[in-house]
Amino acid sequence: MILHEQQHNDIDIIELSGRFIMADTPEVRNRLNSLIKEGSGKLIIDLEKVTFIDSSACAVLISAFKNMQIKSGRLVLVTSPVVQSLIELTRLHTIFEIIPTLPRAIEALESNK
Amino acid sequence: MTADINAPDIITLKIVSDPKNVSPLGEAINALCLYATNSEVYAHDIQLAVVEALNNVILHAYKSQKGNEIIVKWIQSTGCLNIEIIDYGISMTALPVAALPEIDAEGGRGWWIINACVDEYYYKAVEYVERERVCTPSSSDSDVFHNSLLKSSRNTLTLIKYFQQVA
Repeated sequence: MILHEQQHNDIDIIELSGRFIMADTPEVRNRLNSLIKEGSGKLIIDLEKVTFIDSSACAVLISAFKNMQIKSGRLVLVTSPVVQSLIELTRLHTIFEIIPTLPRAIEALESNK
Repeated sequence: MTADINAPDIITLKIVSDPKNVSPLGEAINALCLYATNSEVYAHDIQLAVVEALNNVILHAYKSQKGNEIIVKWIQSTGCLNIEIIDYGISMTALPVAALPEIDAEGGRGWWIINACVDEYYYKAVEYVERERVCTPSSSDSDVFHNSLLKSSRNTLTLIKYFQQVA
């Protein structure tokens, strides 16, 4: 799995690509915890290039969601079909804010829609 | 990861318990299933069920201890794939219920996913016990005693997927 971070104005963006499974979760969890703690409260997790995901990766996303709630911030996911499929299977689409593409996710956070 | 081809339709893959080994084994299962079923959807579903099962073995049967043996046996017959995941760790006493946890719970979705991805599954634990019998010159049948001690177990989760080959 490849992890890439960038900022767009006050929005933190973390882009993951490749396979996101249990072996990757410590690194991603640490990076997300730091970004949420030190960031502006606007975070996009871009999973559009993730080709495979399991339930332990979902646990990391849920942890980020809960930490962002504590901070009263906003977390947006951008998903690939594989990620979207698992999120729907596990009903997690009912708690996550999911926007289909990164530009639209940035637009949503900038305009706070 | 090592592989043995025992018969034309049986392939045995072996890894040691380490999360880093799950990914290559998952990819191998995906490739085998794609070859057998010609369906990317089936291959993905079976790979996902196997990855969840391997995660369970590493976390629960081996308590995250690295270096223990995990065997994955891929068995193909007409219109059916059986995948056996074998470990020698702590056995389950019952299969967990395949239900979703509270929506914001971080764990507990693995069996839900396995249940959704395969058609059938079952779990078998074979326990090997050490039995001690102490006999003394004066012993009668009533004072011979046996101590049974669980030495090890061989746990097998079998995942079954039926398929019609896509042209």
